[in-house]
Amino acid sequence: MTVTRQHDGSTDEPDDLKEADLERALRLVPRGAAALAGLAVALIIVGWLLVYLLVFLPRGPVN
Amino acid sequence: MDEKRIVRSELRWVFVVAAAVTLMLVVIVATTLANALHPPSNVETIDPATLHIAGEFTEANLGTQENADGTVTVRLIATQYAFVPRCLPVPEGRPVSIRVTSPDVIHGFIVAGTNANTMVVPGFVAELTTEFDEPGDHLMPCHEYCGLGHSNMWAVLRVVPEEEWIPDANGRMTCELVP
Ligand SMILES: [Cu+2]
Repeated sequence: MTVTRQHDGSTDEPDDLKEADLERALRLVPRGAAALAGLAVALIIVGWLLVYLLVFLPRGPVN
Repeated sequence: MDEKRIVRSELRWVFVVAAAVTLMLVVIVATTLANALHPPSNVETIDPATLHIAGEFTEANLGTQENADGTVTVRLIATQYAFVPRCLPVPEGRPVSIRVTSPDVIHGFIVAGTNANTMVVPGFVAELTTEFDEPGDHLMPCHEYCGLGHSNMWAVLRVVPEEEWIPDANGRMTCELVP
């Protein structure tokens, strides 16, 4: 069997990766993305609340 | 991952974002109503070409004036590239009204470490009322780009403790009178 080498150095030989493994990885990755995005948004909201309640409001009203 | 699950997770994310925005709006509206907050909004016109000749903003009338009721009015001009006067004394913990206008272009008025902040638009008198609780000098940089000298345009607001607040017989107060 001739092995064709691609530009990126990979080959079109079948590897050991099973379809099931791929499925599992594709289920986990979006969960990680959601956790990362959720954490980022939560930090922004907490930071905004801290500045608003502990800095902006104590400075007093300007009318 | 099939398309339905992708759409479902996107909808979940829309809900998270909507909840975040709603939370912030609720906090803003609740604290605004509770404290009766509103932005300084004073629509009062003035002729920028003649304001230095007669009326409230002539040079002799600029600066800090103590009123009969103990409140204080500060009048100043924001011009390319200075605030006049350059040092504004105000008493600690008393209501202070700041009236500021411009004879040339748009400038910005802000007192560092406080919520005092307004634009200074030629043709209008900007007015804001607040109290200053932290004694000492507060930097007042112009925060609206007004030309090549913009970065050199700044003044100082000096918050003076009550025992050092000794205006002259006419109720005029200057930074030179602060002991
Ligand atoms: Cu300016």
